Amino acid sequence: MHASPYGTSVKGFRDGAGPRFVRMDPLLVLATIGLLACSIYAIASATKGDIEGSPNFFVYRQAAYAGVGLIFMFILSRVDYSRFREWQAGLYVGMLAAIVVVFAVGTAARGSRRAIDLGFFSFQTSELGKVLLILTLSAFAVDRMRRLGDRETTSRLVLLALVPAMLVIAQPDLGSGLVYIAIATATLFVAGTHWTHFAALGGLAAVAIVVVLVAAPAAGVEVLKPYQMDRLTAFVNPTENPAEQGYQQAQSLVAIGAGGKTGRGDAATQTKLDFLPEHHTDFIFSVVGEEFGFMGAALVLSLFALLIWRCLRILTMAKNLYGSLIAGGVTAMLMFQIFVNVGMTVGIMPITGVTLPLMSYGGSSVIVTLMALGLMQSIHAQAREMALTKGRDIAL
Amino acid sequence: MTGLHNRRIGLLFALFLCLLVMAGARAAWLGTVKAGELGERANTQQVEDLEVPAARGTITDRHGLELAVSEEAVTVFANPMLVEDPVAASAQLAPLLGRSEEDLLEDLSDRDKGFVYLRRKLAPALGEKVEKLVIEGIDTVTEPRRTYPQGAMAGQLIGAVGTDNYGLSGIEQSHEDELHGSDGRRRLVKDAMGEVVSIVETERAEAGEDLRLTIDATLQERVEAIMGEVGATHMPKAATAVVMDPRNGEVLALANWPRVDPNDLGASPQYARQNWAVGASFEPGSTFKAFTVAGALAEGLIRPGTTLEVPAEIQVADRTIGEAHEGGGASLTIAEILAQSSNVGSVMVGLKLGPERFDKWVRRFGFGELPGIGLPGEAGGIVPRPEDYSGSSLGNLPIGQGLAVTPMQMVSAYSALANGGVIHRPHVVAGEIDEGRRVISATTATQVSRMLEGVFGAGGTAQEATIDGYTLAGKTGTAEKPDPETGGYSAYKFFSSFIGYAPARNPRLVVSVMVDEPKGAYYGAEVAAPAFERILEFALPYLRIPPD
Repeated sequence: MHASPYGTSVKGFRDGAGPRFVRMDPLLVLATIGLLACSIYAIASATKGDIEGSPNFFVYRQAAYAGVGLIFMFILSRVDYSRFREWQAGLYVGMLAAIVVVFAVGTAARGSRRAIDLGFFSFQTSELGKVLLILTLSAFAVDRMRRLGDRETTSRLVLLALVPAMLVIAQPDLGSGLVYIAIATATLFVAGTHWTHFAALGGLAAVAIVVVLVAAPAAGVEVLKPYQMDRLTAFVNPTENPAEQGYQQAQSLVAIGAGGKTGRGDAATQTKLDFLPEHHTDFIFSVVGEEFGFMGAALVLSLFALLIWRCLRILTMAKNLYGSLIAGGVTAMLMFQIFVNVGMTVGIMPITGVTLPLMSYGGSSVIVTLMALGLMQSIHAQAREMALTKGRDIAL
Repeated sequence: MTGLHNRRIGLLFALFLCLLVMAGARAAWLGTVKAGELGERANTQQVEDLEVPAARGTITDRHGLELAVSEEAVTVFANPMLVEDPVAASAQLAPLLGRSEEDLLEDLSDRDKGFVYLRRKLAPALGEKVEKLVIEGIDTVTEPRRTYPQGAMAGQLIGAVGTDNYGLSGIEQSHEDELHGSDGRRRLVKDAMGEVVSIVETERAEAGEDLRLTIDATLQERVEAIMGEVGATHMPKAATAVVMDPRNGEVLALANWPRVDPNDLGASPQYARQNWAVGASFEPGSTFKAFTVAGALAEGLIRPGTTLEVPAEIQVADRTIGEAHEGGGASLTIAEILAQSSNVGSVMVGLKLGPERFDKWVRRFGFGELPGIGLPGEAGGIVPRPEDYSGSSLGNLPIGQGLAVTPMQMVSAYSALANGGVIHRPHVVAGEIDEGRRVISATTATQVSRMLEGVFGAGGTAQEATIDGYTLAGKTGTAEKPDPETGGYSAYKFFSSFIGYAPARNPRLVVSVMVDEPKGAYYGAEVAAPAFERILEFALPYLRIPPD
């Protein structure tokens, strides 16, 4: 499917004469725009009463983020993604620096230091880190593609991911940290790492979880903040202590259940009366569930299914391994966030603070997700270009 | 590579689809199977339905003076979960709420509760002070509170209202339907912080109807004062007086001693709270003799001028009946029998009637059944049936012993004598007048009435009682009270009474004064007649009733 494992052929393409076709995947664009529209619609009704005097405060901002993000997406779709491979060391260091700088100059919100205040916009570097990690891990894997079966390759790649993941978890932003780990796993998976490596990594992860959740607290070492521990364990029985950790999840279940099949519309009081926490960010899916019912939830899930289907399709048609690995990382990032977030709102996953891609309110999240989709479009466009130059058409 | 690739990607997509379907299925399950339950939960945590008590109607006297009114009182409640410093809060609130600090602290420290009443229906001025404190978690709501501006006036008649705004006794209870109005409902919507974000009146409260009584507050006040003096002088168990207009059955005053203040019901002993005038059954004694005579006159067995040879005592079956007063063994007219309250003479008249006719006339006067005033606790007395008479019953019943009547029954029955033989159902609420019921012929009524004037004449039992310019008619009563210990009559417990009306030739007021177990003097003439006289002394000129 791809002509060369290296990015060199891309250069050839770029040097080659001819019209510069930028062929985006229209269905992926449709899913993207559709989800952004759903997001703005849901935020509009959820936050109407949040800030007195400006009912559209969050709507305007989310629309602006979407606009900026779409521009980034468009630009990235026209950029040769292989260029990033050459910059991998710089990108990696830049990612670590961006994450670390938050500890120094970050603004605290609800007990965690995650964002840099840029005045007009609070920038969450861990979000950008997701894309940078995808680019750099993929580049690393491509560099060592002849030794992909080596244990050393696997362990070094894992290490490369763990460093930023641990830093992010220390901010503390557990959700993003888990996304980093998901990205690393996907990169190994798409690169074709042997199953035995996964098994070993799985074993190590199990041990780590036991240590973090059970052994370390017992020994008096605090790896996770108490609220993180509570959130991770509360989902097992959200109604047991509804006033405390299980409260958010219980309220989310109530919201989705109260929405029924077709939603409560203006009577969506769970959202409007603030019973549903973080209703425009982490729990936006519950808002959809309450206001528009299962119909609304099904629409959003269908758009996500469409999104993922197109991403996986791009993964298969990428013209080179770097493209495939980037596509794999982006797809894994999206899948992980979608499932963990939706799972959280319906009570089958713990609360980890993972945002719902394209739906949750927040500039960093929306813009970075759109950047990632821009990379996907770039991979798609270049694959199409190459197919065309080779005189073959890849059917949509 | 490609094969591995595609297989892995297929696997990835399958995995994602599985997870997505799982989440979707879960969302669908929540939105369908669990929708009702969760929707209900959303409502219960956000919505609270409160009853809004309707303001009760005002009760006024016949001239519009307010006897019972509803005012907006302040109820103070707390959400202990939100009270930050229960100790400081209880210290601030205790003096205003009239509760002890420890007591309040106990309520405020109960962090499991989201709602607790601290004080219901506080006076508005105090409620305002509580609101000014602005303590987090302490809130107020207005509720109508019943107050009685005239204090203890007609306390047992008007009755009282419970905290839940329902009448507990008296007119408040009997006329609950009119007075209560219809309660409204208020829907409170609260946000996640427990703050009320909206209050919607889902059902408007409709105030109750006002009620105008036939009671004249000025007269009532005076009658109560007079009964208070009777109480202070004779130290009875209880005493009651009724003033009624015989022409229409309107009760102008109804006083019970001791008084009860409905503003503070708890301060009065339980026994004092009942309305003796309608609820107490007692053996009337001599005042009943008028009906024995009326029956015999109506039957044509005697005429006012009929003279009977009255012995000092008379044997009826196993019972010997004598006179209470000195004398006897004389030739007496019927009028003299009543004026001197001759027991033997009355029994002789009763024997002329015989059981069936005696019973018929007693019941026609309304004894043995409810007078229909419609007040709580209204009693009908006990009148034995002729088939249950013992041989000596007619030695007893004609003089008002061996049967039980209520003060209101006596007043009602006397109003027949005063009103030309027609009884109007006694009532305390203006407008409840009925057409009247003829009990005896006007002639008979007049005949008995004239005889009752004689009670105040020379040789009559109440000859000391006079009111300048007015002729009085009436009858004393001094009944022996049954003694449960011996099964017979007590030698020192009496029921002293006086019933009469004025002006005798054109009666406008029937007045009864009944005193249960006076200490010391016990003759009706000594205990009750002076009060009767004093009531009329005030009432006649006050009501501008012309002398006759």
